[in-house]
Amino acid sequence: MDTFDLLKRLTETPGPSGNEHAIAAALQEMWRPLVDETTIDRVGSLVAIKRGAGETEPRPRILLAAHADELGLMVTNIVAHGGNGFLRVTNLGGVDRRHLMGQTAVVHGREPLTGILGGLPDARLPERERGQAYTYDNLVLDVGLPIDRLRELVSVGDFVSFRQPLRRLQKNRVAGKALDNRASLAALTLCLEALQARRHTWDVVAVATAQEETIYLGAYTSGHAQRPDIAVAIDVCHAKGPGANDGELAELGGGPSLGLGAEIHPAVHRALKEAAEALEMSVTVSANARGAGTDAYALQTAREGIPTGLVEIPLRYMHTMVETADTGDVERAGRLLAEMIARLDDAFLPNLREELMRPDNRKDNGQ
Amino acid sequence: MNDLLRSLVEAYGPSGFEDALRDLIRPLVEPHADDISVDAMGNLLVHKSTAAAGALKVMIAAHIDEIGVMATHITEKGFLRFTNIGGVMPHTLLGNRVRFADGTIGVIGVDHSDDRGAIQPLSKHFIDVGATGREDCPVRVGDAAGFDRAFVARGNYLTAKSMDDRIGCYVAIEALRRLPADVPHDVTFVFSVQEEVGTRGAEAAANRILPDVGIALDVTRTGDVPEAKAMSVSLGDGPAIKVRDSGMIAHAGLVRLMRRRAEEAGIRYQMEVLDGGSTDARSMQVAGPGCAAGCISIPCRYVHSPSETVDSRDVEGCIQLLVALLSGSIDL
Repeated sequence: MDTFDLLKRLTETPGPSGNEHAIAAALQEMWRPLVDETTIDRVGSLVAIKRGAGETEPRPRILLAAHADELGLMVTNIVAHGGNGFLRVTNLGGVDRRHLMGQTAVVHGREPLTGILGGLPDARLPERERGQAYTYDNLVLDVGLPIDRLRELVSVGDFVSFRQPLRRLQKNRVAGKALDNRASLAALTLCLEALQARRHTWDVVAVATAQEETIYLGAYTSGHAQRPDIAVAIDVCHAKGPGANDGELAELGGGPSLGLGAEIHPAVHRALKEAAEALEMSVTVSANARGAGTDAYALQTAREGIPTGLVEIPLRYMHTMVETADTGDVERAGRLLAEMIARLDDAFLPNLREELMRPDNRKDNGQ
Repeated sequence: MNDLLRSLVEAYGPSGFEDALRDLIRPLVEPHADDISVDAMGNLLVHKSTAAAGALKVMIAAHIDEIGVMATHITEKGFLRFTNIGGVMPHTLLGNRVRFADGTIGVIGVDHSDDRGAIQPLSKHFIDVGATGREDCPVRVGDAAGFDRAFVARGNYLTAKSMDDRIGCYVAIEALRRLPADVPHDVTFVFSVQEEVGTRGAEAAANRILPDVGIALDVTRTGDVPEAKAMSVSLGDGPAIKVRDSGMIAHAGLVRLMRRRAEEAGIRYQMEVLDGGSTDARSMQVAGPGCAAGCISIPCRYVHSPSETVDSRDVEGCIQLLVALLSGSIDL
């Protein structure tokens, strides 16, 4: 499948935090031929295991985590107005309220209902509300039904997913919803495809985690349940653009960014960096001194502690319906992960423990 | 109902100081337990085993702790400065009374301010226990107090200081009494500690039990009072089945099952989406390999005030729903 088509399929499949069933099922179908076993676990994460060729039992295992959930909304109230029915909603995850007005969304009630997010025009709002972002008190979700029928089909607590097709911009740029984090799931898919033709000795546990946008749920629980020896989280990062702090950000189309910081084990970071060098792939390094707000945070402290790395795909306009990525970065991230995995050997774990004991060696500090 | 509830809500038990509650509840539930234990954090674990093969492990959590205050400094004149234990709101303090573990009663005053309309921060308040100096002050730094307020029943409306979450404890105790001897699941009722300071007791208990299904019993806010923040939960409309709060999105399959069981049993219920706050379900959800977590909420007005108010009909509905859930199969 062409990368655009892969991204289109993944971004347009609904999966708001807490209701990842559809996206997990779509990925399961996609990954089943690429791995030895798949399962959707108790909290809704898809766990896929591809066994390695290593003969040492138990084989070491690397866990790759990319979150399956996307931002969404939830019905909080059903209100009547002159016989018409309207829905009030609240956010699931860090929704940017400023752009909700005018969006299209689907309510997952007894049957899926497409609606729009509307509100009074700015000039008709009370004076103190003008010129500001709409709030969950003055926005409505309107599916066009009379109140009686709406009450039959929709309950308070029903999930709402955004509806937005993925679009091609010029060059390799694509724009749409949920590229955070379906871009990373596409990269993970490409990695699993690449591993079909590569020998790897370690077991690979690919996880599409649930509820990252709210509490890193799937990373906590899969990190515990799968007992990996090391882990890599794959997520998006802010890309350069007008108004952004270019000094700290990755270039869209400039290759994946490798995270460093409190959550990141330097040896896992170095393994990713050496894989990029072997591929002559351009990558950047993102410094997240206090952490990047990804699944890496939860994986690091699961069980006895898991040495964790972070691969990020540059993204503009994060947490909006026009998130913009470069398909080249997605493909590179997939290749990079496959290369890193193929290079893991029996010496990696003993070396990893020694690595932390050598603070004077600057080369080992990811520099 | 009211005698048991009165003894629960009037007991002393700020987070970290729950001994009295544990001692009160243990003899009430012991006849219904296959085994009963207290863990290192002070959680009371009441276990009902089953002979059923492949039974699910179910953890039910109701927290025994309540919000309160802790003395941080005693002035030369014998007044106490204090800090909060859990989510104490400054506008509930002035004129309120607190009770320490030894029974000492204190009244809360506030530093003078020329702006009489402004709510002063907690740090501007002090407790007067009737001492005249450090020598005769019966309270020491680190002593904790709960709020002091008598239980009152007004028809169906029941009002008390720590309905959050003694009403959840009441639901758990009553469900234990009503459950048949042969429940088809391996169920542990946890009377948990330190919920108000970060759902800490349930976290430890869940790490011990590693449940497949975790259900919290706790209060939730309502939107049915004047100028309330919009919320579609009302007193008297039945148990609230939680879908989301700010710490957790409930397991969708468990939510569906709760609704189905309520409908089968003819229990009136409502759906809950809460902005702000969380419950022990949060801790259960992320513990170990994770579990299917949810919460049966008792609608409650004026949460974290000395007059938390619930409706006895909602309480009865919660008990019935929990019993119906645990008596049948749990097919997620």
